[in-house]
Amino acid sequence: MPVFVDDPAQFSKPRLKSDLLAHNVTLPVAESKKQVYVKLYLKHISQKNAPDFSNDEEDYQQEVVEVQDSQDREEENKEDPEMTDPCGLTDDELKATLFKYGVEAGPIVATTRSIYERKLQRLLEPAQPRQNGGTGDANQYSDSEEEEEEWGSEQGRPETVSLVEEYQHANEQEPVTDVLMEMFPETEPTRTGITATRRRPIKGAAGRPVQFKYPDLLASPMTLQRQALERRLVPLSVQILVFLILTCLFYLIYAAMEHSSYHPFVALLDNLSMGTETEGLSLQADP
Amino acid sequence: MSTTSQKHRDFVAEPMGDKPVTALSGIGEVLGNKLVEKGFDKAFVVLGQYLLLRKDGELFTEWLKDTSGANTRNATSCAQCLREWCDSFL
Repeated sequence: MPVFVDDPAQFSKPRLKSDLLAHNVTLPVAESKKQVYVKLYLKHISQKNAPDFSNDEEDYQQEVVEVQDSQDREEENKEDPEMTDPCGLTDDELKATLFKYGVEAGPIVATTRSIYERKLQRLLEPAQPRQNGGTGDANQYSDSEEEEEEWGSEQGRPETVSLVEEYQHANEQEPVTDVLMEMFPETEPTRTGITATRRRPIKGAAGRPVQFKYPDLLASPMTLQRQALERRLVPLSVQILVFLILTCLFYLIYAAMEHSSYHPFVALLDNLSMGTETEGLSLQADP
Repeated sequence: MSTTSQKHRDFVAEPMGDKPVTALSGIGEVLGNKLVEKGFDKAFVVLGQYLLLRKDGELFTEWLKDTSGANTRNATSCAQCLREWCDSFL
């Protein structure tokens, strides 16, 4: 018989709620105290840890599942009697067990031990509540565990149930490929399965120091600005050309506006010439 | 998509030296006091914990939430801050 150290009082309230939802337990309608959820958790989920695995199955099916499960459990127990109890493992065993799940753990020290224990617990947990899907195939435990851990342990339990069913279907074929993970292969898998890519901060905006933000640029900001300026020079001639064309155009329009435009022009010219003449005369008059 | 705060930028811009734990992004006075109670009085001690967990952001956020009662946002911000600091100076 496996011994699971289940201390729901240590779980957080949202965790309890999602766990209960995953076990198809009806939650209280209004927000209740944590104690209520702990009680519900203990009531329903510790039942599940006992031999009767799923409340939905009929008795004879239950017995069949029981037999299969107990057989599997016995096998597991023969191999690793302490495998399912993270708290009972020594530091080295804990580290080795985590390594088996593909988790490269750091030194197991006083401060890190509880974290790693919890991680191992989370990795072991998906082995049990899978019966809710009604698949009842006990032999898929080890395979689906290996598939599960790569995506981390999600916090939303309903999500894990549906994801787990996916894994079971894809078990015979290739593992499920995540497009997002393919696109950004360097991101670490997070617990919620959500990865946020950071938008590149705007260079030089709001006093952001440019030199630390963009170490991968080959050119300095000055050269970039110069290049930007140079890019503008190319269409500059085009701009001047357009300007000249427009000037001529406006001139012609003005010229064509009045048919008697000749006279104003002539008058203008006369005025100008008169102006220069008077100037000339005044200049001559002065000395 | 997240933009960094001024505190984050200040921390990541230079070696942390003897900066207090409240200099970390996401760690304010309340969380800082709780960490000091647990013995993490300087930023480098928290860095030590981050390194012990092999620079795993997920595990670190979990540890921080347990130790100081931080929420996910603050813990993630602190983890990201430390990660970037390590990228530059470690």
